[in-house]
Amino acid sequence: MFKGAFSIWKRDMLVLRRSLFSELVAVVASPLTFYLAFGFGLKGYIANVEGVPYTVFMAPGLITMTAVSAAFDESAWSMWFHRKVQRTIEAYRVTPITVYDIVIGKIISGFTQGALKGVAVATVIFLLTGVRFDPAHLAGYLAFIALGSMVFSCAGTVCGTLMDKPETIGKVQAVVIMPLIFLSGVFFPVSSYPEAMRAAVMAIPTTALFEGSRRALLAGSFDGGLIAILAVTALIAFTVTVAIFNRKMAE
Amino acid sequence: MASALSLNRLTKRFGSLTAVDSFSLEVERGTIFALLGPNGAGKTTIIRILTTLLRPDAGTAQVEGFDVQQQGKEVRRLIGVVPQENNLDRYLTARENLVMQARLHGMGAAETSRRVDELLELVGLSGRRNDFPDTFSGGMQRRLVVARALVHRPRVLFLDEPTTGLDPQSRRAVWEYVESLKDSMTIFLTTHYMDEADALCDRIVIMDHGRLLVDGSAARLKERMAHAHCYEMQFRANADRYEAILAGLPFVRSLQRTGDLFRLSLAGEEFLKPLMDAVGTDDIRKVCPREPTLEDVFIELTGREVRE
Repeated sequence: MFKGAFSIWKRDMLVLRRSLFSELVAVVASPLTFYLAFGFGLKGYIANVEGVPYTVFMAPGLITMTAVSAAFDESAWSMWFHRKVQRTIEAYRVTPITVYDIVIGKIISGFTQGALKGVAVATVIFLLTGVRFDPAHLAGYLAFIALGSMVFSCAGTVCGTLMDKPETIGKVQAVVIMPLIFLSGVFFPVSSYPEAMRAAVMAIPTTALFEGSRRALLAGSFDGGLIAILAVTALIAFTVTVAIFNRKMAE
Repeated sequence: MASALSLNRLTKRFGSLTAVDSFSLEVERGTIFALLGPNGAGKTTIIRILTTLLRPDAGTAQVEGFDVQQQGKEVRRLIGVVPQENNLDRYLTARENLVMQARLHGMGAAETSRRVDELLELVGLSGRRNDFPDTFSGGMQRRLVVARALVHRPRVLFLDEPTTGLDPQSRRAVWEYVESLKDSMTIFLTTHYMDEADALCDRIVIMDHGRLLVDGSAARLKERMAHAHCYEMQFRANADRYEAILAGLPFVRSLQRTGDLFRLSLAGEEFLKPLMDAVGTDDIRKVCPREPTLEDVFIELTGREVRE
């Protein structure tokens, strides 16, 4: 069962291993720039946020943002490249593995890349900036990261499955993914929204992800409601992604 | 002899276009079978249905007794596929491409290693096993795709235009591999090259507009043209003008041009004189009868117009 998915995941990890250093350098550059620019550049203008210094407040969000963006990028571009450019998806489809193996393998590859890159950014931020967290809080934080990476990996897989033009994937990143990430509390707390909007904003899965992961890491509080929103979203996203891929392959 | 492939009234439509139209066929085990037809005839659609990539709208198809719709996984265990375009993984080395294929077929590590090395040797790529396909010539990439299709020892090998775009040496090399496989599996190939079908195949079907037109060995198909009166004409000058004249003659059934040499077939022997009257004798260098080729049969059946 799912031996095919494991083979595809193994292939993706082999390819990642070959370019691991350059991948990690590239992925660390962007959040670190944000961290330095906002965290230190604006330090003098921003007081403590929710009781902690702004540099500490934004660190969990940046790590989460890196993980989920990497999961989306890897899944979307990998699926598009293997389907439209290299046509390896077709090569897989004439072997005894099923379309479920292919899509699950690709989702897990995206998820793994997201998790690895998140860890890389976390390590750099912890080493360079002196931000420290209680190790006991990590398990709860990682639960949010894992589910968030799964959701974004599924979203990327859907884009790579349905979109034939690369520029369309770029537009989805610019118009949907980035606003969803930025407006969900990477750089500011949800309490900044007007009170009437807060309940609705908190129900958005990305807010559940960023707010929940921050609370888990900084305060060690594991919000069951937020993790439930994320878990249900991940389950729905996974089911929908598998169905969309299956349907697309049958066309 | 048992059938390796069995197609019964297979039909596939894309919107208003019927790509495959109630197509029936039996292919015996151990034969090299060619499906010929112009662009858009339905050849690739049939291969995609037989390899479980497409579902037919009507009819049934079986590979080694397994239904392509109901028993897709069993079918895929038994087939090897060489698609029209090389779909190698450019981020894996030649060897890793073959190992990946073996893994997807559930082969064990020891067997994989032995088989992969044997195939790389067979296709002459053992010295390049650790190189990436992007660094290979077109012919080498094609040989690697053929090797990949053979990793799991398939019982039916599908080759969709396996030599398109290759130089003559690479084409010959692919032909040699295909011929060497003949006794161990059934080979189903599509091609635009008549000489390829003529040289390799035990049986040939020509199709067009999704329908089967003729079926038989290359010799039998050429016999169909025995009644056709085939000639070669060569002109000293004004070849373009003569091409226009020949193309306009109602009794010229097929016309092919290579430089100033024309190969044509006439509707009957009695049209030789009207032909000579039409072109005159001023510029003629040569006129002689010739044996019909498979290409004559193909043009005769599918027409002269260029397809998109």
